[in-house]
Amino acid sequence: MTDQTAPSGQVDVRLIVNGDAHTVAVDVDETLLDTLRDRFDVTSARGTCGIGLCGACTVLVDSKVVSSCIMLTAQAAGHEITTAESLGGGDGRLARVQEAFVQRGAYQCSFCIPAMALTVHAALADDEAGRSRDSVREYLAGNLCRCGTYPEILEAVTDLVDEAGDRATGSDA
Amino acid sequence: MADGIGRDYRMPDADQRLLGTLPFVLDRRAAGMVHAKVVRSLQPHATIRGIDASEALAMPGVLAVLTGRQIANDPGIEPYFGAMRVDQPVLAIDKARYAGDPVAIVIAEKPQQAAAAAPFVDVDYEDLPHVVDADDAATPGAPVIHEDWPDNNCGSWRSRLGDCDAALQGADHVFTGVYYSPPASHVPMEPYICLADWTGNELEVWTSTQAPHAVRQGLEKMFSLPEDRVRVRTLNLGGAYGAKGQVKIEPMAACAARAVGRPVRMELSRDEVFLTIGKHAARVELTTGVNRDGRFVARRAKVNYNAGAYAVTSVGASGQGLTRANGPYAIPNIAVDSVATYTNTVPSGPFRGAMTSQLAFAHEQQIDEIADALGTDPVELRRLNLLRDGDVYATGEALHDLHYDELLDDLVDAIGWGTPSEPASPGKVRGKGLAIMLKNTLTPSRSEARLRACPDGTVHVFSSSVEMGQGAHATILQLVSEYLGISIDRLVMGFPDTRHTPFDTTTSSSRTTSSMGEAVRKAAADLMLQLRSLAAKRWQASEDDVEISAGSVRLRRGDEPREQPWEELIEQAEVPDVTGHGVIESDFGLALMDDPHDVKGPVSVHWHQGGAAAEVEVDLETGRLEVLRMHANCFAGKVVNPLRVRQQNQGCVIFGLGPTLFEELDYQDGTLTNPNLSDYMIPSILDVPATITSTAVESDDPGAELHGVGEMALPAVSPAVANALFAATGVRLHELPLTPERILHALEQNGRNQQE
Amino acid sequence: MSPTAFHEPADLADACALLAANPWGAKAISGGTAIVLMLRNGLIAPESFISLARIGGLRGIAVEDGVLRIGAGTTLAEVAASPAIREHAPSVASACELVGNPRVRNVATIGGNLAEADYASDPPATLASVGARCAVTGTAGRRTVEVIDLITGFYETVLEPDELITHVEIPLPAGPRGAVYLKYRTRSSEDRACVGVAARVDFRDGAVGDLDVVVAAVASTLQRVPDPLAAARGRRLEPPVIREVARGYADAIDPMDDARGSAGYRRKMIEVFVRRALEQVAGQQRGSGGGARG
Ligand SMILES: Cc1cc2nc3c(=O)[nH]c(=O)nc-3n(C[C@H](O)[C@H](O)[C@H](O)COP(=O)(O)OP(=O)(O)OC[C@H]3O[C@@H](n4cnc5c(N)ncnc54)[C@H](O)[C@@H]3O)c2cc1C
Ligand code: FES
Ligand code: FES
Repeated sequence: MTDQTAPSGQVDVRLIVNGDAHTVAVDVDETLLDTLRDRFDVTSARGTCGIGLCGACTVLVDSKVVSSCIMLTAQAAGHEITTAESLGGGDGRLARVQEAFVQRGAYQCSFCIPAMALTVHAALADDEAGRSRDSVREYLAGNLCRCGTYPEILEAVTDLVDEAGDRATGSDA
Repeated sequence: MADGIGRDYRMPDADQRLLGTLPFVLDRRAAGMVHAKVVRSLQPHATIRGIDASEALAMPGVLAVLTGRQIANDPGIEPYFGAMRVDQPVLAIDKARYAGDPVAIVIAEKPQQAAAAAPFVDVDYEDLPHVVDADDAATPGAPVIHEDWPDNNCGSWRSRLGDCDAALQGADHVFTGVYYSPPASHVPMEPYICLADWTGNELEVWTSTQAPHAVRQGLEKMFSLPEDRVRVRTLNLGGAYGAKGQVKIEPMAACAARAVGRPVRMELSRDEVFLTIGKHAARVELTTGVNRDGRFVARRAKVNYNAGAYAVTSVGASGQGLTRANGPYAIPNIAVDSVATYTNTVPSGPFRGAMTSQLAFAHEQQIDEIADALGTDPVELRRLNLLRDGDVYATGEALHDLHYDELLDDLVDAIGWGTPSEPASPGKVRGKGLAIMLKNTLTPSRSEARLRACPDGTVHVFSSSVEMGQGAHATILQLVSEYLGISIDRLVMGFPDTRHTPFDTTTSSSRTTSSMGEAVRKAAADLMLQLRSLAAKRWQASEDDVEISAGSVRLRRGDEPREQPWEELIEQAEVPDVTGHGVIESDFGLALMDDPHDVKGPVSVHWHQGGAAAEVEVDLETGRLEVLRMHANCFAGKVVNPLRVRQQNQGCVIFGLGPTLFEELDYQDGTLTNPNLSDYMIPSILDVPATITSTAVESDDPGAELHGVGEMALPAVSPAVANALFAATGVRLHELPLTPERILHALEQNGRNQQE
Repeated sequence: MSPTAFHEPADLADACALLAANPWGAKAISGGTAIVLMLRNGLIAPESFISLARIGGLRGIAVEDGVLRIGAGTTLAEVAASPAIREHAPSVASACELVGNPRVRNVATIGGNLAEADYASDPPATLASVGARCAVTGTAGRRTVEVIDLITGFYETVLEPDELITHVEIPLPAGPRGAVYLKYRTRSSEDRACVGVAARVDFRDGAVGDLDVVVAAVASTLQRVPDPLAAARGRRLEPPVIREVARGYADAIDPMDDARGSAGYRRKMIEVFVRRALEQVAGQQRGSGGGARG
């Protein structure tokens, strides 16, 4: 919830960032990206296009991917925000999707990579987007990688989709 | 060795790459730092009559506004810089040369405050006539961009082999075409970012650069400082592709820090990244004389690269046109004129596949056009004319270690040349095309490396090679492990820091694996020699009796064999460490030629070789072209790491498809209209084929040189797709990008011509 | 000047009152995806934001009295995934699915998309083609605005500063219907449309009973060309009719130039994509044996 008692031009916003609740006073027009980077030492979300297009600033808000560069912090009030740093639970632990990227060497300069993995994670959590390699590929169309790591990312996606299929059919092969 | 050449050794910091904790300069903060925002010219070409900063200075948080005049008046600052021609002011002095040229800097406590105040810096411009196209700018009477170079020339090169005119006259057929590549942008995901901090007259700069030592030298010159008063440090780069190769925003950040006496952080916004550097637009006029049997007898090329408003590297880089206009073909008579011309546009600089893509787009299409006219197969025509070992090239030198036959065979196999495409759905057609390329690497250049063996068993690797996703660090570690014969786990490598990591010209031109690799090999040999002599001294033995391998030294003398790990030796010798040093330097090349108008002799330590093949589908009603699949290859000498070579090849295809299909900087009235990612789009995962295959051709020679692989397939991408477009539809486009609208227009023209 | 307040009223009347109290300085914010861009580009400089996020009843999808009602605060992702929309207005679901990228769709709302009035947006044309209307509330009361009439120019609508879209209402089809939205992009897959065509045909006795074709992204407003539509009614949806309509649209619309295509190219693409859209609708009709739910 936001609160108008903060000094003029600012709002107090309660945010739940990677599991911990905080209340911060932010400018009304401050973006979630700036708040996370400047006040929560988040480095995985990175501003680069500033217009919602490239995906490098992706975070999960209530488990859904959003561009933190085009969301006001005030809009995120009361919501749960998860960043790549703690997708696997924090303390440097990798989530399964992140491991799959590591296994396939799906990174080059890696500027875009934490966001890619978050997006694959979100796609796989969605029945439709996560149903096949091609559907995940469609879902990734808004995450740009100038190094061109797409082929290895797709390999990691294939592994993950196969695993999910195996789980669904109860096979352990 | 376990982790040596050819092994699948991954980057050691992969977890951080996924978690988002990998350090970038973007993440660095300094105590007490303030923020700078650049005020940029709104006019493409204008005299600056005055700058009124009073309103901006009165705004909240603003500490200072710095202008070009102020810098020019500061006796402690040389206000111009430039890698090859000192023509670029830190901030425009009395004149702005492109829309986007930095004219002032606002420094404030917070970035938002600096940004808010920037529009309030009032610049009084008097417009001058401007010029955007390089051919227009090279025409007498064009607006003069730099008074010191009144003909707008920014590099002029010429090479002659045989008698081109006579050979063209005598040729059975002569083909001529003009090919145009528009300006494009590198778009590294990480913007330019710099943190500058003065302590007395020492300057420390953290910056996202491919060339830390070049930045150091540039800043030392600018502030008249002795060597090593400037310390340049960098971390991982979030992509560069040539955009971060020379001095860029560091002078602005350093001048701003000097003005306010506090650390200054400068991060460019996306539009400013577009306004900092771009790819050379180039117009290439190519004439080829061909005999009835298909043999090329003469090639004349005229190349005009658009340098933009400042030289950056264009003065020398335009010389690359001499070699690259000819492609990997043996042509006995050659006349190439290659120039770069100033215009009122964003400065141009090296762009992955530098100076080559524009020419490969020309010669690789033209050879297909010739094949079509002669009724031969494009692959056969290439085979007939390919450069082979010992052939004399444009510069008069004989080339060796050429692998075009293998590369071409590989493309043929991979794309199924000669086998028709699967039929497309109604209204669509398919076709295949291929292309090859040749490129010289940066010569002359210098790389140094140091390896320090410590008593704790570690070996510290000191190298200024920059890690920007290509895996430079992991590759160097693999090589050190190979050459020292020890496990990678014992190696420690940090980021470039000019105070501690020795000189390296730059991390670009695909030179790191070969050049730094060689420096590291020499450093390893030196380290082992020193360890051996240390052991010999301690054991009072002759050096010849000491053997060194796999982390230990051994005494071979019969009766009392001794063996000791290096670390024990170092510890017992009570020396702090033992350091090996390696230097590799080439002392020839275009930049050292006596006469740029008569280029002769070797220009490259070795030749980059690669190719690409494409299969495309075209919608005949809309003109929209879809790339169905692509194959990329390169000659690697020896593959150090298979995954990373594949990633470079695939990366070349993906990067290359942007300018092939839709990337283009658009100028209206002298102003760039699309400096953002929604108006200038780069390829998404759906814009490129889901399958991109790759081959790295290796040498049979076990002692083969290592070749860089970072840009080999790239120049071949556009012509391969253009050739596939022709195969599918019968239309040729001599101008990039291959937009649906252009393709449709050409299809309509073609239909009309065929009806007539 | 930076905005100084972020209000989050819990009911609609309060939101309208806040907007009315400062018609030029207060700005409604829903998903914010368009607003933050306008803010960054200096296109707006609001004094305060009135968030619609906590207003009750503005979010969700329901079928009532033969009408599909979508709350203005429903995200595009929710619209795209809604079983009710997929059943009753599948072309609307697919148009929302084609917007930008998942991050935008997760946040952007249908009300915000309509009110932004971007000429290159996808949902408005589709909504207009299925006869959708906006339920609008202001301090002066409520009214209904046809989607086709909502957008009056580049980023301009008929809405008063204190008026908010509360719902989008789509009348359910009475009989068999076919409908599609085709988005033609000339550059990246992430691009907006060069031409967007929404086509909807209600079939009666195997022939065209009623139809609509609305073209987006070619002019400042949505384009509907009445004459060729009128001429098609009562005839079977077969190639001659389809070609006539496509030609009629290409001839009548005066398209614009932008980086996604010149006017001349757009004119040709209007013909191609109106034709392809109607062919797909005809395909839906065949697929369902004489009439389509589509
Ligand atoms: C990267 C990117 C790609 C995009 N691609 C596409 C695309 O392909 N196709 C497409 O159609 N769109 C595209 N868009 C645009 C996107 O659909 C709109 O930004 C979005 O729908 C706006 O909705 P919002 O809820 O975020 O609106 P907001 O940003 O909150 O508001 C937009 C405008 O509507 C007003 N407003 C909001 N809600 C109401 C209401 N209920 N009543 C009255 N006025 C209201 C606001 O005051 C403001 O003027 C893209 C956007 C981005 C950032
Ligand atoms: S920085 Fe947010 S999407 Fe590009
Ligand atoms: S890995 Fe470099 S941008 Fe994706």
